[in-house]
Amino acid sequence: MPVFKTPFNGYAVRFSPFYEGRLLVATSQNFGILGNGRLHVLEIDPASGALAELRSFETADGIYDCAWSESHDSLAVAAVADGSVKLWDASLPPAANPVRSLHEHSREVHSVDWNPVRRDSFLSASWDDSVKLWTLDRQSSVRTFREHSYCVYAVAWSPRHADVFASASGDRTARVWDVRDPRSTLVLPAHDHEILSCDWNKYDECSLATASVDKSVRVWDVRAPRAPIANLAGHGYAVRKVKFSPHRENILLSCSYDMTVCMWDYRAEDALIARYDHHTEFVVGVDMSVLVEGLLASTGWDELVYVWQHGTDPRAMP
Amino acid sequence: MAMRDLVTGGAACAVPGTSSPSNPFGALANAILGSSSKAQELKGLPEASVNVPGSSPDFRPEAPLTTFPGSEYENQQHQQLDSRNSEFLYGFRSANHGLEDAWDEIHRPPILPQARGREGESHFAEFEQIYNHSGSSAIQPTWDGPPQRVLSSFLHSFVDSGRAGIPFRPAVLPVLGLSEGDKQCIRDRSCIMARHIFVDKSEEYISAQVNALLHSLDIDGDRQIRGPMHDPFPELEEHWNKSQSALKSGMPNSADRWVTEFNQQREHGDPEAWAYSFEELHGADGWASEFEKEQSQMASVGQIRGGNMSNTAAMEQSRMLAHTLAQNTDPKFQNSKFLQFVSKMGRGELIVDENQIKPATGSISADWADEYQTQYNFRPNSWADQFVHEQLSQGMDKWVDEFAKEHQQQGVDDQWVDEFSKLHVQDWAEEFGQQVSEGAFGDSSADNWADAYDKYLDEQVLASKQRSNTSSQVYVFSDMNPYVGHPNPLKEGQELFRQGLLSEAVLALEAEVLKNPDNAEGWRLLGITHAENDDDQQAIASMMRAQQVDPTNLEVLLALGVSHTNELEQAEALKFLYKWLQNHPKYGVLTPPEQVDSLHYASVARLFNEASQMSPEDADVHIVLGVLYNLSREYDKAIESFQAALKLKPHDYSLWNKLGATQANNIQSADAILAYQQALDLKPNYVRAWANMGISYANQGLHEESIRYYVRALSMNPKADNAWQYLRISLSCASRNDMFEACDSRNLDVLQKEFPL
Repeated sequence: MPVFKTPFNGYAVRFSPFYEGRLLVATSQNFGILGNGRLHVLEIDPASGALAELRSFETADGIYDCAWSESHDSLAVAAVADGSVKLWDASLPPAANPVRSLHEHSREVHSVDWNPVRRDSFLSASWDDSVKLWTLDRQSSVRTFREHSYCVYAVAWSPRHADVFASASGDRTARVWDVRDPRSTLVLPAHDHEILSCDWNKYDECSLATASVDKSVRVWDVRAPRAPIANLAGHGYAVRKVKFSPHRENILLSCSYDMTVCMWDYRAEDALIARYDHHTEFVVGVDMSVLVEGLLASTGWDELVYVWQHGTDPRAMP
Repeated sequence: MAMRDLVTGGAACAVPGTSSPSNPFGALANAILGSSSKAQELKGLPEASVNVPGSSPDFRPEAPLTTFPGSEYENQQHQQLDSRNSEFLYGFRSANHGLEDAWDEIHRPPILPQARGREGESHFAEFEQIYNHSGSSAIQPTWDGPPQRVLSSFLHSFVDSGRAGIPFRPAVLPVLGLSEGDKQCIRDRSCIMARHIFVDKSEEYISAQVNALLHSLDIDGDRQIRGPMHDPFPELEEHWNKSQSALKSGMPNSADRWVTEFNQQREHGDPEAWAYSFEELHGADGWASEFEKEQSQMASVGQIRGGNMSNTAAMEQSRMLAHTLAQNTDPKFQNSKFLQFVSKMGRGELIVDENQIKPATGSISADWADEYQTQYNFRPNSWADQFVHEQLSQGMDKWVDEFAKEHQQQGVDDQWVDEFSKLHVQDWAEEFGQQVSEGAFGDSSADNWADAYDKYLDEQVLASKQRSNTSSQVYVFSDMNPYVGHPNPLKEGQELFRQGLLSEAVLALEAEVLKNPDNAEGWRLLGITHAENDDDQQAIASMMRAQQVDPTNLEVLLALGVSHTNELEQAEALKFLYKWLQNHPKYGVLTPPEQVDSLHYASVARLFNEASQMSPEDADVHIVLGVLYNLSREYDKAIESFQAALKLKPHDYSLWNKLGATQANNIQSADAILAYQQALDLKPNYVRAWANMGISYANQGLHEESIRYYVRALSMNPKADNAWQYLRISLSCASRNDMFEACDSRNLDVLQKEFPL
């Protein structure tokens, strides 16, 4: 399946919601500790099946996360380590980009997510402990959510409710918010260690997954937050990202500092469905295609982006 | 549990070394130099290549962009709720309405939704606005900032230390002229990341790691580090307040300041700016004097160096914890290029000179570093342990002596090593100091220093230049070998091997090959013994010697193929497996003689499949196929091949172990245990299989069980350092901290009583 080598260390990968074979990849030099960043727009060439770069954009600091716009097929937002949130238009040459640079966070921005329901707004989560809400037509943030007491590592919109989102923080809580309310609706002390990622179930609006430095992924019913529905153990190091499948209610994908990508069926007794250990360094970005069921992508600090069909070997060459 | 366990019966393990396809040094240098030349590359960034359709047929159909003015939307939402969800959403509804209004106002769409999704041109209309606003005023990246290439290496080694669990030991580094903003970045980011990577480690360990990094970058570690989270809520508030106030007082508007600093840096307009600023601070000889200082500090016992990084207790702590992490025998971790880089940078064997990374003492020393590196990687706990330990208790001199001693027996090949080791570090430092005071060093002191050192080693350099590819496979003999002078050490060694007294067998066989350096069988047995004794570096070194003496020995070729497979060195593995085929009386005909330079996995696998069809009753071919399938990680096929071989050779204990290791790789720990059990039934004193059993139990979370197997393995070979460390981890996982003392003092009586099998 296709592989692409990025010059910097991979940080995040996202399938386009508009084009089957198109991906966005965020990368950072020196593992994001210091140096530049680059955002790649990649596409699987239908003829050869290879991953080719359509465009790339540079930043003066590492890029930690990225997300496609849900409203415009060429627009993307990136979380930059210098505290800025940048918007890029892949249909425009690099000289005309970024089309926006929104600088409000005082620390590294670690996560961005585009509203999949309303499609006109996006969120950014930062190590300054805050989450900010942005819209396309404003130069400044619409709202700032300050409640976490440590770095916010991830933010995820509800796939059902246009105003609801969840955040995951190093303060060991995940929180559920309504953008109309400055305070969180729910504080979920989901792990005893820092929480690095969270995602909503696409078929169950009350189901939220969290991933933590404690090596576990947990699935929660936010109506009954006292105990997780599922505790998925199997990673050997901190779990860096978790995503619910856009196609199957019970399926999750996670990646970890243990250099593997794992697929889980959280309702099954034997929850671990597949473990892919194609990366040779920390895996920090994964995604599942909305448009092609079972199509997976991952990126990591080995500077490689893989796209493969679930059940096949990511490294197998076509 | 690693592929390396495949090795156990009859193969050696791994020499990574310079022949490895992914030479870590080269890769890293490329990475760093490549990235540092990006500034130029960027300016000419290609325009073209994208044709993202403005409006495409598969543009998501008709989805309204911002359809709902907020209030309408909210009503809709409410209608959708069923009673089940209403409680969940109760909080959302009860939101503050002032805010709600503001949000809704934002959502009033500037363009009618219908107008948008359809007309291709107009769906970007909104964006024209944006472009006009910000197209030209977008932040222009600053490329030529701090000397990132220097940092690069340091950051690599830092991150790597997390992976490998090796305490980060900084080298002496020229002052980089990092701006406050850069320092803040490194300080904060490395702290935050360290807490993710070192999850199981104590706060002291993390501080030690981070402080080591910061100190080496001349960053004040105690200031404004983003602290850890301690206990959830109350402390968090306090922490938040503290960090906020620190931000306010310490760095008003840190972002702006960063930019300013950065620009100041740029105004020098000179890529060498950092060098100037360094000279300003320290004079041309600054680095040298810094080095001297470092040297003298290292020589004194337990001296506190820069902050809290290396007070003795913290170092001891780091060492212990490092061992725990170093237990990850996953070949991926072992092969990580970070891992391979870290020790070099950490020990100052690579230096950054101008815009290049160089080995500190020229190419020869790099080889030496490689060798040390390999040893360090594969025996993380013996040599390194000893080093740290001795550094703590006796200072540098002792270490040097030790090193010299260890290397004096290496024979002709290793003259340079001997020569090197004769250079007493203190003398050398004096020499170095003298040269400094004589003004021998010009502007680029680092370079000259390297030159001077090269000169010092001149003859040795010349003499050994050709051997760069083999030096990493040098066999290191033990000192004080009681079997030297034994009338028949080979026989003695075989007997000891049979009894499972592997460490003793090693000594006897070493005596044999010292006596008869051309005895291929002696070397081969030595290799097997090392492999079973879990000393892979030595095992492969022995096998290479065996191969030098007898280049066509099939067993040796197979062992080397297996070893390289264990280390995921595909090219090397294929080379030896191919040679095996070539030299085989039966299958030699299958191989076209000219093809040996470029071997592809597929073609070698095909040849072996042909061979297995030719004679399906040849167990060896099935074994090689099993090894090959391990190489391509087709574990199911590998298991089949080994099982086929076992049908033909059911009494080959090493084969059972291979099967077990493959099953373990395939996450079939329960099956693996059955296979190991078979191996043990055949050879009850098969130490490595006992240890492997322990590992498989540990992998299944059965730590109490694993302890019993480790103890059994250790009772047979108390010198198996790795097993002691596995044991310690399992003790800790099983919360048997009460047995740590017995473990640390290697008190087998106590352990056997407590954990009978």
